[in-house]
Amino acid sequence: MSQLSPILPFHRVNTLTGVRTARMVEDPKDLVKQIKKAKRPLIVIGPLTTKITLGDRLLIEYAIDIAKAGSIPICATATTRAKLLEYGIKPDSVYDVVEIINALKDQEWKGVKGEGNHDLVLFLGIRSDLANQGLSTLKHFAPHLSTVTLCKFYHPHADYSLPNIFKDEKWKAILEGIIENLKTE
Amino acid sequence: MELKEISKRLEEVYQKIKADINWEPVGPTPMPELPELRNWDMRLLKTYKPFYAPFCDMCCLCTYGKCDLTENRRGACGIDIATQQARLVLMACLIGCACHTGHAAHILDLLIEKHGPNKKIDLGEGVAVEAPHIRTVLGMKPETLGDLKVAIEYVYKELTHLLSAVHTGQEGSYLDYESKALHAGMLDHVGMEVAELAQITGFNYPTSVAETPLVGLGWNAFDKTKPIILFVGHNPATSTAVVDYLRENGLYDKVEFGGICCTALETSRYSDRAKVVGPLSRQLFFVRSGIADVIMTDEQCIRTDMPQEAAKVGSALIATLEKVMYGLEDATSMDTDEIVRKMVDEKKQFAILDPKKAAEVAVKVALEIAPKRRKEWITEEEAKQFAQKCGLCGLCEQVCPNLFEIGKGISEVAKGNFDVIRDIFNLCIGCGKCEEECPRNIPIFKIMQQAASKEVWTIRAGRGPIMDTEIRNVGAPITLGTIPGVIALVGCSNYPDHRDLAEIVEEFAKRKYIVVLSGCAAMVAGMWKDADGKTIYEKYPGTFDAGCVVNVGSCVANSHITGAAIKIANIFAALPLRANYEVMADYVLNRVGAVGVAWGAYSQKAAAIATGCNRLGIPVVVGPHASKYRRLYLSRKEEDDWKVMDARKKQIVDTGEPSPEHLIYVCETKEKLMVTLAKLCIRKNDTPQGRAIKLNHYISLYKKYMGGGLPEDLHLYVRRDPDIPLVYKKEVKAYLESIGWKPKEPVGLPTWIGTYPTKVPVEAVIH
Repeated sequence: MSQLSPILPFHRVNTLTGVRTARMVEDPKDLVKQIKKAKRPLIVIGPLTTKITLGDRLLIEYAIDIAKAGSIPICATATTRAKLLEYGIKPDSVYDVVEIINALKDQEWKGVKGEGNHDLVLFLGIRSDLANQGLSTLKHFAPHLSTVTLCKFYHPHADYSLPNIFKDEKWKAILEGIIENLKTE
Repeated sequence: MELKEISKRLEEVYQKIKADINWEPVGPTPMPELPELRNWDMRLLKTYKPFYAPFCDMCCLCTYGKCDLTENRRGACGIDIATQQARLVLMACLIGCACHTGHAAHILDLLIEKHGPNKKIDLGEGVAVEAPHIRTVLGMKPETLGDLKVAIEYVYKELTHLLSAVHTGQEGSYLDYESKALHAGMLDHVGMEVAELAQITGFNYPTSVAETPLVGLGWNAFDKTKPIILFVGHNPATSTAVVDYLRENGLYDKVEFGGICCTALETSRYSDRAKVVGPLSRQLFFVRSGIADVIMTDEQCIRTDMPQEAAKVGSALIATLEKVMYGLEDATSMDTDEIVRKMVDEKKQFAILDPKKAAEVAVKVALEIAPKRRKEWITEEEAKQFAQKCGLCGLCEQVCPNLFEIGKGISEVAKGNFDVIRDIFNLCIGCGKCEEECPRNIPIFKIMQQAASKEVWTIRAGRGPIMDTEIRNVGAPITLGTIPGVIALVGCSNYPDHRDLAEIVEEFAKRKYIVVLSGCAAMVAGMWKDADGKTIYEKYPGTFDAGCVVNVGSCVANSHITGAAIKIANIFAALPLRANYEVMADYVLNRVGAVGVAWGAYSQKAAAIATGCNRLGIPVVVGPHASKYRRLYLSRKEEDDWKVMDARKKQIVDTGEPSPEHLIYVCETKEKLMVTLAKLCIRKNDTPQGRAIKLNHYISLYKKYMGGGLPEDLHLYVRRDPDIPLVYKKEVKAYLESIGWKPKEPVGLPTWIGTYPTKVPVEAVIH
């Protein structure tokens, strides 16, 4: 696992940026280790997964495979539910992204299965400005859970993020690696 | 405070609001100061809790810092991250309120100078309740332009106190900062109303009329063979002076004039020859086209690099208001002909703060320079040549706030395919960052000229206040629910996609909701034609009634939308409004199914407007990018407090019904927005017939956009069998049975009064 570590200036009071940045993760095995460690993971699938094609498949198909391989409950945001139903998947919950984040930041929330709040949340397919704000909420107000972003651009407010990926093949390989490792480990 | 001091203050207030004129009894909160509506705010914030999404981890406001506020750290002053967010939201609301009120004060002074302070406010025979906000908040019925000064002075005073509260070492509670933000939002609507009353009175804008003239809309609406004067901003002081000058000098049809952003809408209310080029998002695009011979800036939402941009394309520039002078020489006292000479011969730019002089200069300069300038869109071949310089580095895509693949679009243009860039143009919010970043200096905005539609659309000129007669007609169906809701599309043009607006309008106008628009939203919604070549303004009536599409006007005309909600309580329900804010807001929250949509909100003014709506009990939905405002007011529907007082029985009832569910909310997509809007129109006051109509729309929109089935929270909104829409009866009943749903009694007269500490008695809400 590699850490994106900015060089901090000595006189922090005047110059520290204050942004606690995400750990950058490229190796699917490292990510799967985190997922496996979690007692109650959740995957939040956003509407961009229905618009983006990766290889010859829609991004939502990778999200479904991750959920299946890791037995991870699904939260569908916006209108993603409609597409999941087309694939025969009934999401465990349907919330808008601000609603699920609002729930997640409450430590006492019962989670989408009613079994307790989640301790690790994967995000995929939410537009980056909105995702950034939502992850900021969780960074500041939900110390009880870890956040992981699987989108192809680095999200500093997450706990674990993929790096900026400019080649789709690389992104595809990471997502497939996650699916594979979730199945086999 | 000592009783004596309170009495003295009240005495002063009563004098200012002319309490002795007994048009209605003075309510409990005339000219409320900060704490007076705090309990109402806290009641709102109990159910709709602030949700913060920090945009920055730091506080950078004093020299003790920067202070890192992550992981429960506090700043050197003791502030935590939540309170810092609330503080920043308050700042945004204050900036917004100051803009509207500053505009109002400027235009009021100008019109008092022109007409005198005793000029009667007259909004025509259809409008007797001329100032719902000023009446409700201040407790005053303004009769003349001079009376409006009282409202301005009140807002100024409150703004000063509020602004002082954001200083380091002041407020320490995020809830109290939110209460102050709500106060600022309320003041904002007062400021906007003053601007509107002054402008309608002083400029003789349309009022007491529904079908205002249709005016030309779009960047191609100008006759480019004539001199063109472009107004950018919000304040019509100078644009109306230009119209006067043209009329007085026989040039009315010889010079083209129009604007971008709200000055365009204001000017089109003054002259139906004015063109509305488009919203804020088309400002840089149009300015860089060089089509305008003279650009006149006034205030708010203007490019701060306008002098440089105008100079690049050879457009002359005049700054007309003191708030935006760009470091230019102030030529207000200079001889008119000398200014014209310098602008024509030396290409100098000036600030001219006298509207009449600025108008004369603008027209003379435009007449002189127009014949020498090229004013054409670039050709397809030119666009291709520019695009062929693209090296596909992708830097443009990294800086696009709307996250689009601009490089891909440009590379396709190089091959002669304009489809991708055309799509991007429809999504473009016009910041110009892509072009700035391009290492090969490709003029992306120029290339977009080829992609942009050359269509000319129409927009109905802003009609101003909703008439009292219209309120009487729709009051009952709105509060009973048989008109399923009022959808107000307002605000700026930072859209995920410009095409969304017309689609949203169509969806709800067809379903017989009341659809009202203002500002940039009113323009963008008009930039679409159906198969018969009609815009929404040609398709739907402008009367405030089921299935209408009403453009009230510019930003400041938003006060008419919220004012209409107050007027429903006052005119239809006959509740006194004078200094009676809590009763009005409580009525709107519990009984008026109105929702605001600021789908492209970007500004601090939008923050103030929305927060003012929220204090008045009107929920607002914003676009996904607007999470950057840092704060929402969200409920957790199954867990929050949905208790109301049944005013008739004087009993507190736990309804369990989350209506409206949120006060300010982000939707990710247009489709989800449609579903959410239908839900947010549900109110506890709905009759069974009205509720069935509202649920019919909620379910049908859910089926349309969410892949079928029934909404997950439907059971929370069905009280008894008659609430279930006939067309879905079987399906809904089967679902309700499957989850063990139990019927509950609807509340006869739902109110929050009596559920929190307030001076207002429950009887005050019974009409």
